[in-house]
This record gives sequence, structure tokens and C-alpha cells, in this order.
Amino acid sequence: MKITDLKKKLDKFSLDIKSLEIPEGKIYGIIGPNGCGKTTAMKLMAGVMKPDSGKIDYCGLTPRDITMVLRKPYLLHDTVERNLIYPLKLRKIKPDITLIDHYLEITGLTDYRNKYALTLSGGEQQKLALARALIFSPKLILIDEAFSNMDIESVAFFEDYILKTQTEDPLTKTPSEPKTFIIISHQLSNIKRMCEYTFFMHNGEIITSGETDKLLSSPDNDKLKQYLNYM
Amino acid sequence: MFELLDRETLGIIILTLQMTLLSTAISLVLGVPLGLWLDRVNFKGKSILVLINRTLMASPPVVIGLVVYLLLMRNGPFGSLGWLFTLQAMVIAQVLLLTPIICGIVYTASQRSSSHIRSFAVTMGATKWQTQVLLIKELGNEIYFAAITGFGRAMSEVGAIMIVGGNIRYHTRVMTTTISLLRNRGEINQAIFLGAILMLIALAIQIIAGILRKRERRTDENY
Repeated sequence: MKITDLKKKLDKFSLDIKSLEIPEGKIYGIIGPNGCGKTTAMKLMAGVMKPDSGKIDYCGLTPRDITMVLRKPYLLHDTVERNLIYPLKLRKIKPDITLIDHYLEITGLTDYRNKYALTLSGGEQQKLALARALIFSPKLILIDEAFSNMDIESVAFFEDYILKTQTEDPLTKTPSEPKTFIIISHQLSNIKRMCEYTFFMHNGEIITSGETDKLLSSPDNDKLKQYLNYM
Repeated sequence: MFELLDRETLGIIILTLQMTLLSTAISLVLGVPLGLWLDRVNFKGKSILVLINRTLMASPPVVIGLVVYLLLMRNGPFGSLGWLFTLQAMVIAQVLLLTPIICGIVYTASQRSSSHIRSFAVTMGATKWQTQVLLIKELGNEIYFAAITGFGRAMSEVGAIMIVGGNIRYHTRVMTTTISLLRNRGEINQAIFLGAILMLIALAIQIIAGILRKRERRTDENY
């Protein structure tokens, strides 16, 4: 993905990304204080929001190859299972029962498959939304603080799961085309564990970026240093 | 009781149901997309359009009846259709009353949740058509409420249909206009009987709609 001169003015701030290149097949992190534009940037990348100006070149990816898991996920007024298979239904793919069972199992929702999804707890809703985003194997997956309501054990499980299935088919365990993940999180542990490369945003701009370990252990920017001091 | 339910009364009940169901169905077909469209678009004068719709939601039925009468009267712009004092005229008046109500309810519901639904649809890679289908499905409860409200309004309406229907025996006489006529004649027992039947029909339709809605949720498994 290549972003050039992307601008979006909102009530409280303006997003301005001059130039950004995100090579495919890796896991990226976006960090920054509240209101710095992380979610707006992600929504623009996902096509949920339209920019005022600028360009996003998806390098051959279509909207059907991209998904985003929102912080407050939208769940259909329907059962857990029907929520899970919704993206497959949109693509007229008959869902394989093994696939459904697999995702119900990893989310711990096997016993709730016929339950109304909106009765789930916040953490369970996030797990369902995450599984729904992964079930159709999109090439670009944008995750906006989707672990925020999960317990520590579940977060660790999904971190492992994403790391494993990024390059491997979850059912056959055979190598697959590497997927690209972009993750927003306020938990630096998520970013450190999962992301190869991280962007730091402040006041609507990406002010520094680099390999995650290096960026977080020896920050080259005062704003980033200040941000990390509070974490 | 059965003496009261003669052939004429049965005809009145059937005509009432025809008029009410037809006008509710047409108003839903017009009002739901209009409400969704009104939420989706932004243009100069949109607030005026919303204000007009809200005013029409509370429009007095006799005024609507009068407008339809003027349009359909022999010398009116649509007089050649010969629809005045027919079922068609009554349905048109009902549709003009119901459509703004349904549109208003759907617009308000859509304003509250459509942006979340549309964003979700984008994240799932839905096409424009799939997004519209999703919107209607997710706003199902509100659309159901709009339909029931519209149906209730159509069922209880007197003023407009009296003007454009004329309350003609065996032709355009419906339950509400008959009740009004019976009261004027002092035939209170028959009026109360018809009123009770009207309430029972409303209750039966609510129950049937509720059952259909539950069944629709259960049987939609065509993945």
C-alpha cells in the first residue's frame, strides 16, 4: 500500500500523511496518544472514511481483500454463527462446517453458536469480530484496539494465533501467502510481540517509524520518548 | 352476535382489510427507501425536506382527503381516471398519510445506526446492493414498528376516506366510516360490535406479523 499526501480534516484535528509505504506480508503497529489520528488513518486505509485529498494506492488489492476490526465492533442482530459466516455469505462461499467449528473453538464460543450475538460480553464480542475478520482470509487486516476488552489469556492466544496464521492456513497448517496486518494498540506488549515495524503518530502526522524493537528501546524522537515514559 | 355479522358487514370488513393492507404495503415500498435515502444524502435544502416530511407526519387527514378530492374530482387534473369515490381514491389518500410517517420513522432510526452499519459493510467488503439489504435487515425492528404504526393509522382513519370514498354502501363503506354512520343513526350496539371486530382484526394482524417475523429470523439460513 502506498499513501501520498493524504489529508482529512475533522472537528478536533487534521490528519496529514505526506508519504507512507507499507510493503505487504508483514505485521505493522501504529502507536500514539489518544486523538492523534490512528483510527482516522486506519479508517481511511480501510475505505470506511473518504479523504479530503490525497491518494491511497492499494497495489492491486480490492475492497474485498481488506477488512477492519473496529474497537467497538458492529455485530449483526443475529446469532453468533450467522455473524461469523456473514463475510462468506457476502462472497457466496458455502461455509465449511470444519471452518466454522474452528473459529467457534478459537473464540471459545462453540456453546454459544446459536445465541444472539449481542448478548455476549464485550470481550466475547471482540473475539467474534476478530474471528469474523479472519474467516474469509483477507490479504490486509486492520485491527483497531480489538484486544482492549479481552482478558490477558485471550490476548496472548490471539497474538499467537495471528503470528501463526499470518503465513499459514489455520486448518491445513500448510504455508499460505503472507497476510498484512496493521494493528493499533495502547498495549505496547501487543506491539512488541507482534509487529515487525511500528509507526508513531502525533497530532495527525506520522512523526517517526522504524523496526519495533529499535524504535521502542531507543526512541529517536522527543514526543515518542514522552509517550513511552507514560506507558 | 352472528346476526350482527351479516353479508353487508362482512363486505365492509373485507374492504377495510383490502384498503388498509394495500395502503400500508405501498407506503412501506415508498417510505422505507425514502427514509434511507434521506439519511444517506446531503444537499442544500435537506433540512427543509425533513421539516416538510415531519409536518406531513402530523397532517390532518381531512386536509389530505380534500387535496386528493381536488385532484380526482371530475374537473381536477386526474379527473379522467374516474377514481373518485372508489377504493383507489381511498388508498391514495391513505398512502399520502402513511408514507411520511413511515419515512420519518425509518429516517430517524437510520440516522441513529446507519453510519455504523455502512462502515461495517465496507469492512466486510459488501457491495452497494448488499449494503442496502444489510441496512434494511438491521433496521428490521424499526421498519416493523413503522409498518405497524402505519397499519394502525390506516385502520383507524376516517376523515380522508370519508371525503374521497364517500362512504357509499356496498362500494366504499369501511369499518370506521360505518361506525361513524351507525352512531349518527343511534345504532349503538352495531357500532360497538364493529368497533370490537376492528380491535380484534388489529390484534390478529399484530399476532400474525409477530409470528412471521420470528419465523423469518429462524428460516433465514440460506448460506
